[in-house]
Formats: sequence, structure tokens, C-alpha cells
Amino acid sequence: MEILLLAFYAVGYFVLGGADIGVGMLLPYLGRTADERRRVLSTITPLFLGNEVWLVAVAGVLTGAFPLLEGRLLSGLYPVVVTLLIGWIVRDVGLWTRGRVDWAAWRAMCDTAVVAGSWTVVLSWGWMFAGFLSGVVDRPLTEPVALLGIPAIAVLFATHGLAFAALRLRGRLRTRARGLSGTSGAGVTFALTSGGMALLCVSAGLRLPLAQTTADPATLALLTPALLVLTPLLVAAQVCMWWMFTRPADAHTLRNMETSN
Amino acid sequence: MDTLDLARLQFALTAGSHFLFVSLTIGLATLVAVVQTWATLTRSPVHERMTRFWGQLYVINYAMGIVTGLVMEFQIGLTWSGLTHFAGNVFGGALAMETLMAFFVESTFLAIWIFGWNRLNRWVHLAALWVVTITAYASAYWILVSNGFLQNPVGYRVVDGVLRLTDAAAVLTNPAAVRAFLHILCGSLVVAACFMAGVSAYHLRRRTGEQEFFRKSLRIGVSVTLPALVATASFGGVQFDLLQPTKLAAYQGDTEMMTRLQAEMTAAHGPGDYLPPTGLVMGGAIVMLLVFAVLLFMSMANFLLMMLPAAVRRFRLWHVLLTAMIPLPFVSMLAGWVFREVGRQPWVVYGLLTTEQALSDVSPAAVRLSLIAFGALFGVLIVLNTWLLARHARRGPDAVAIGRTSLPAEPAPVIAF
Repeated sequence: MEILLLAFYAVGYFVLGGADIGVGMLLPYLGRTADERRRVLSTITPLFLGNEVWLVAVAGVLTGAFPLLEGRLLSGLYPVVVTLLIGWIVRDVGLWTRGRVDWAAWRAMCDTAVVAGSWTVVLSWGWMFAGFLSGVVDRPLTEPVALLGIPAIAVLFATHGLAFAALRLRGRLRTRARGLSGTSGAGVTFALTSGGMALLCVSAGLRLPLAQTTADPATLALLTPALLVLTPLLVAAQVCMWWMFTRPADAHTLRNMETSN
Repeated sequence: MDTLDLARLQFALTAGSHFLFVSLTIGLATLVAVVQTWATLTRSPVHERMTRFWGQLYVINYAMGIVTGLVMEFQIGLTWSGLTHFAGNVFGGALAMETLMAFFVESTFLAIWIFGWNRLNRWVHLAALWVVTITAYASAYWILVSNGFLQNPVGYRVVDGVLRLTDAAAVLTNPAAVRAFLHILCGSLVVAACFMAGVSAYHLRRRTGEQEFFRKSLRIGVSVTLPALVATASFGGVQFDLLQPTKLAAYQGDTEMMTRLQAEMTAAHGPGDYLPPTGLVMGGAIVMLLVFAVLLFMSMANFLLMMLPAAVRRFRLWHVLLTAMIPLPFVSMLAGWVFREVGRQPWVVYGLLTTEQALSDVSPAAVRLSLIAFGALFGVLIVLNTWLLARHARRGPDAVAIGRTSLPAEPAPVIAF
């Protein structure tokens, strides 16, 4: 059961968080002017905080239910995890503070932080998962196979982000986002890349010694039921957030407010 | 420096930066939630503007708290895997609950609050902020449950060299957790209330156009500071009888007691240095208590002056002092944290596992590199946060982006925050 919970949160992160990270990677392609970049980023700013906490949940489930594995993974993959965290912070600071200062140079700096941070995060995931998939769990992968795995995972994130952007953007920007995702329609592409993300998590999970590293039964007897009760509530909160930010009435409602003020 | 010192410094830097940001976050969330409740009940326009202005400052600071918090979540597994290996069964559960029950819910509802302005029913919008506030408290509680266990291990049994949970209720009601939780909660209110009073005093001194707005804010800040300060001290005072003997001896500089404890611990655990560095422990405690004393005297005077409308309007020297007070509670918070955490050394789980035993098998070069990277990054974050807070505080309520109803003319309205 703990393994299913871990998988659930991991897939949640890679599908939802993967989409906003993918958009961040492709910001220079999707948004050619400052105004376009602002519009591209506005598809992810309300969501990225709610998306990244899925990864925090993964860390939590690991710490609580797989304490041995958590220590082994994080300390074994030390340079990879540190790089991932640094990319993550730089990206988040860019997203959080972009709108705070009204200077063109400031926004350009934040856009750079978002792009560089997103790439750092994706390449770190690529490095870590290329290791997991080739059975290297507790040290950074240095074999040449990394050169194959890392770009493949980066392409998956980028395609996923592009499909998400195509679903969320309108007009010229949407055409641009659809250009690379093919003719099958952004919805189908997004479903496919989401499946790819899930597959990535599951195949990595199969390589991890999960069953051998679970916490003591006395701990799990309390923790697992608590997590099972919490999970539907967390999902409900997320559904509420996604519903708010993706329903099409937004622009209309906002415009009404604008004129009524 | 060896790996142990580097790893300890890195942890201290991460936890210290995080603690600076979150102490303001928790307190300010409470104050903004109360102001928004009043605004929702009475539809008072000035309180609605106050919610947005102080809410904006809250959100700026929250962002810094969250990014340092992300690093915190991974810090124990990165450099202290010996701790998760040894004690993960007992205190890992509390950390897991913190990420799901608190971090996850808090962030989701914060996003709903920030971007739900003018889209949600105003009662639902208010409820979102209360969820954020209460989960912030829950977060502090769960973190202190795990920290309380490290300070005062309870409810466990040692089996095959690792800990097993035997009494979850004892872990959850550990006095070392509960009293520290209340102490820190009230301390956060002091931080936020001083911040609110200080920023308001700046505007009153500069005679900016927002007199009523900042007079009300100043009164909230000053009237919360005094009781919160007294409560903080009380919940701090009741922790003294829980102090580990070595911490107490170091704090009192009692060399006789220290020699005795060192001998006892050597007999029980083998040769080693079982005493914390006296200078840091004593220094932390003294700074915390001194700053508290200064804050207490000032807050009493502030409380009286606040009742004189003429002083609130025109006593500029007082306004300068109020603004100068803003950093003091932060100093006290950090000093108290040094006292608590350094005083536990050399133990990570008191009496059971030393910090050295908990260290991961990582190379000094790797930790040195990550220490430099995180150190530089957190330094930038602290400067950035201070600058952004000061800039937005100075600009006043009219420049607030959060919850703005009239967006600038644009082809497609874009959500601002």
C-alpha cells in the first residue's frame, strides 16, 4: 500500500509538475517577446506551487514509510539531488518574483532564471532516472548510457510541456505550441506524454528496493491509514485548484470585473 | 573543516534561513486572516485594502520560506542518512505528516487564495486563508514533534540497533514538542506584529496619504506584540525544566556539573566529548533573553503611546523607534534556535545517536561545493526578500498587485499576483 501511495504522488508530480517544467524549458521558443513570455508564463504561475508539492509529498512518503531508502537514495545521489534542488529554487524564485518589480531587465532576468532552472531540474531528473532505469540506484550514473537517457527524458518533459501549453494558450501562441506536438491534437499528445511520465515512474520504481526498505510495521500501522485518509482530501483540494484556473469563463469574468470598476 | 562541520554548517544555514522566513510567514498569516475576517464581516473598505497590502507582503515572504523549505525537506536524507536509518521509524512519520497534511494543503490553498481573489465567493476566499493559516500551524507542530523527539526521545524501543515506535501518543504529546510549538507560534506573532507596527510607523512618519490605513495597522501591530511577547516568554520559561542536563550546565556555565556529566556520559557511552560548546549555548541564550527584555520594555511603552491619538499621528521619534524594532524579534528567534539546537550537541538524538554517527557517507568535497552553492543562494534570497519587502512596504497600498480588480488594458486579462 505504501508503494502505491508513493507511486501515486510520484506520477502526480511528473504529470502535473512535469507540464509546468516543460513549459519553463520552452519559454524562449513559445514566447518571443516580453509580452508573449508573460502570457506563456501565466498558464503556469497559478499552478506551479500546487504542482510541485506533489514532489514534497513524495519526499514525505519516502521519509515516513521508506526511511532506509530515503537516506540511501538522497545521500548516494548527493550531487544529482543538490543540482536538482538548486535548479528548483532558481526556477521558483524566477516565477515568484517576476511580477514584483516593474523593470524590463528584471523580467528578462526572471525569465532566464525560469528557463535555466527548468533545464537544470529536467537534466537532473534525467540523470537520476537514467541511473534508476539502468539499475544504478545509490550513486550518480557515470556510464555512457546516461548520454542516451538524459536527452530522452528531456524530450519527454519538453513534449509534455508543449502539449500542455497548446491546451492552455490561445491564438498565435497556441499555433506555435501545436507546431511541434504534431497533428494528433494537443489533448492526445498530452495524454500520451502523461502516460510516458507514469511509465517512467513505474519502471524506475520497479528498480528500487522498495519492498525491502519499508518502515517498521508499528510505524506503518499508524502512518498508512493516516495517509489513506488524507489523500482523497488532498486530491479534492487539487481538483478545486485546477478547476478554478482552467475553466474557460476566467477571461470573461475578469473582463466584466474590469469594466465594472 | 571536516565533512561533519561542513554538513552541520550547511544544515544550520538552511534551517536558519528557513526559520527567518517562516517566523514572519506564520505570524503574518494569522494577522492577515484576522484582518480579512473583519473585512469580510463588515465589508469595511479600509480593512479590505489592509488585507491586500499585508497579504502581498505575506506572499512575497512566503515564497522565500517555501523555497528554503524545499531544501529542508531533502536535507536530512542528504547529509544525515544515519539519522533516518536509526530513528526513521519514530520521527519519519511526523515529517511525512508535515509534508502531506501541512505543506501540501497549505500550498494548494495558498494558490487558491492568491489567484482566487474576485473569483471566489468572499466567504470561500476567506476560508482558504484560514486553511492556509491553520495548516501553517500544523506544519510547525509536526516539525516540532520530530525536533522534540530529537531533543527528548520518548515512546521508542531499541531493537537490533534501530528505533521502533512503541507509543505514538507519547511522541505526539512530547512536552519538548508541545511547549516549543507554542513558544514558536507566539514568537512568530511577535515577529509579524513588530513588522506590521514598524512598516506602519514608517508611513506615518513620512506622512504618506494613507493615515487611517496605517494608524489602524499600527494599533493592531502594537496591541498584538505585548501579549504575544508575554506568552512567548511564558512558553519559553516552562521549557527550562525540560532542558537536557548538558545544555543546562553549559547555559549556566556550571563547570562542576559539566565535569560530572562528562564523566557520567563517558561511563555510559564510552570515551568522547559529550558537552556542547559553552560559548554558543550561553551566547544564544543571553542574546535571546536580552532582546526579549528590550522588546518587553519597548512594547509596554508602545502599548501606552498607542492609546494617545496624537502620538500615533505625530510622534515621529517613536515612529523611528518602531521601524527600528523590526529586526529585533528575528534576532531573538535565531538566538533561541541556536541555544536549543547547539545545546543538544554532540547528540542528534539526545543520549542515543551522535551527530557524527548520523552523518551520511558523502565526500567533504561534495559537501563543500553544495555548502558554497546553497550558501550563496540563500544569501541572495535573504537580500532579495529584504529588498522586495522594503520596496513593497514603502510603496504603500496603492501599488499592490495581489487581488487587483482593474487590470491594465491588455488584449487578454492575465492573472497577477
